[in-house]
Amino acid sequence: MKPELYEVWGDTVDVRHLVYAIVIGAIVSLSAFFTAQHFLLEWVASAQMARAYAMLVGIVGCLVGGAISASLFKPKRHVVEHEADPAWRSQILKDLQSEFGDLGRLADLPPETIAELKEMGLYELFVDYEKGLHNVGADPAPAVDGLAANGGRS
Amino acid sequence: MIVSLFDQVLIALGMGILGAVIFAAIGLISGSDETTTLAPLTLLVVLLGVPAPGVLTFFLAGAVAKHMTHAVPTALLGIPGDTMATPLMREANFLRNLGVPHIALRKMISGAVIAALIAVPMAVLFAVMLAPFGDTIKRSAPWIFLAAAIAIAWFSKGRLAAVLALIPFVLIILGLQTLTGQYGVKLTVSYFLGIAIGPLIAALFAMMAPAERENMRRSEVRTFSLSPDVKSGGGFFPNPLKVLDRKQSLWTGITAVISSATFVFSPVAMTVIMGELVGSRVKHVYHRLTTVITARNGVTESTYIAEALIPLIAFGLPLSPVAAGPAAPLFNAPPRFSVDSASGEVHNLHSLLSTWEFLGYGMLAVVVALLIAYPFTMNYAYRAASYVSRKISHEAVIATFVGLILVIGIWEGGLLGLLVIVTVGLLGGFLSRFLGFNIGVQFMGYYTAVLTVPALVALLAG
Repeated sequence: MKPELYEVWGDTVDVRHLVYAIVIGAIVSLSAFFTAQHFLLEWVASAQMARAYAMLVGIVGCLVGGAISASLFKPKRHVVEHEADPAWRSQILKDLQSEFGDLGRLADLPPETIAELKEMGLYELFVDYEKGLHNVGADPAPAVDGLAANGGRS
Repeated sequence: MIVSLFDQVLIALGMGILGAVIFAAIGLISGSDETTTLAPLTLLVVLLGVPAPGVLTFFLAGAVAKHMTHAVPTALLGIPGDTMATPLMREANFLRNLGVPHIALRKMISGAVIAALIAVPMAVLFAVMLAPFGDTIKRSAPWIFLAAAIAIAWFSKGRLAAVLALIPFVLIILGLQTLTGQYGVKLTVSYFLGIAIGPLIAALFAMMAPAERENMRRSEVRTFSLSPDVKSGGGFFPNPLKVLDRKQSLWTGITAVISSATFVFSPVAMTVIMGELVGSRVKHVYHRLTTVITARNGVTESTYIAEALIPLIAFGLPLSPVAAGPAAPLFNAPPRFSVDSASGEVHNLHSLLSTWEFLGYGMLAVVVALLIAYPFTMNYAYRAASYVSRKISHEAVIATFVGLILVIGIWEGGLLGLLVIVTVGLLGGFLSRFLGFNIGVQFMGYYTAVLTVPALVALLAG
């Protein structure tokens, strides 16, 4: 049967797995809580402390329920190893330019940062970018929409 | 006396380690909101009767550790680790696309170390400066909470809609309190949890409505691209001052001091504003990305520490968004900690610890959290991100939180407690989704209901 996928609370779930997981979570956490409360009320002198400890056991139950669901239901995510493609880097520079405007000069940087850029293999990228600036004279890259990685602000 | 002090420090140390380990793990799970996780676990620690120093170190070490490990999903997976990580996404994504996510990660957590160490003494200093006004503020607390609620609502995304929505929201809370009161049930935690977990409750209800469900349907799973593991120098515990350059350390320090003083503002807003302040002063784009992400993650630490510590030390009243939300159990956790609305009398960490103890235990908590979360993140970030994204399904995360709702609701007020969580969560979740009436505003709405309304009624009756 084809999974029915929905986006709930920020990530994708299969609705059947979600229902099973919630039922498991509810049963495990509540039975942990009620069992603990039943016995602790007899064993612990203060009823209030007994209930607080029962809540602790109930929370452990939540985690156990979550662990059971995690082992039963695999994540609905496609995780790929992603190496940033060097060919894309000039595209990133265009995105950066559309986001921030002027990218600044390497001459402004302290020596530590220059060393850091060289270590990362990014120094040449910015050198080439500055050369491009001089050759064309004015704005070398028009504002590019699309890939700009815009963080959601709340 | 000496033995008892030694015992207290040992308990504080133990609880700090516990908090740091638990929340370093939670920080790795993307979208694990601070309020939903810090508030119930801190409450549990309070109610289990852990001595005051242990309560403080548990909360602070937890918050500090979480805001270090939240850098892992943020930098390596491109998804925000928690609410405070959302303002870092733009810089994190650019650095990821440039192929240097490990640089983003290293800078972020180094900024966190510096800012957290600066924030504790700064928060204590500002609290001492504010303390002389403490009695005046305590006496006028009901009106300050009303003003704060209106201000926070106005500055939320909802603007005027959020300010006006406070009225029905407060009325619902008053109505629920009256209802449960008839059965002799007095609830606090259920309201906190309902507010904090509201977005999940609203999403689960939306799933059950056919039209909304169609909007939430997805044809395929999401693809996450995990950046490869890159080893960097510096050994097991690299010196944060060497990971950063001098300008970055300086800006992290400056923004940490500023954000320690502005404890009444929303922590997310402070993180955004401090980043803009730094960004406008760094010319080269690469340097700007790395400096802004460093300073911003530093601010996630300093603003949290200050927003919890300053109101605790100076007033004992939860007068900041963090104090009203994730740190709420440090102020108000009946029957152990309480804030009396009529007299302004408080019995909580404010009355149990001296200023020097706040400084000492605060520093202890920060150092413990740094010693655990910093080397862990530096060395195991890739493996942790890979494990969480491949092994822990979202279904399991949701099931754990549903279990939490059931246990806490039934523990506090039986069926009534559970109904209150669902009612407040559903209302708050939808108000937040459609009006921008966010969780911070909802918490202030709760305090308006319990503190301002009784004072208002007394005023009108007299």
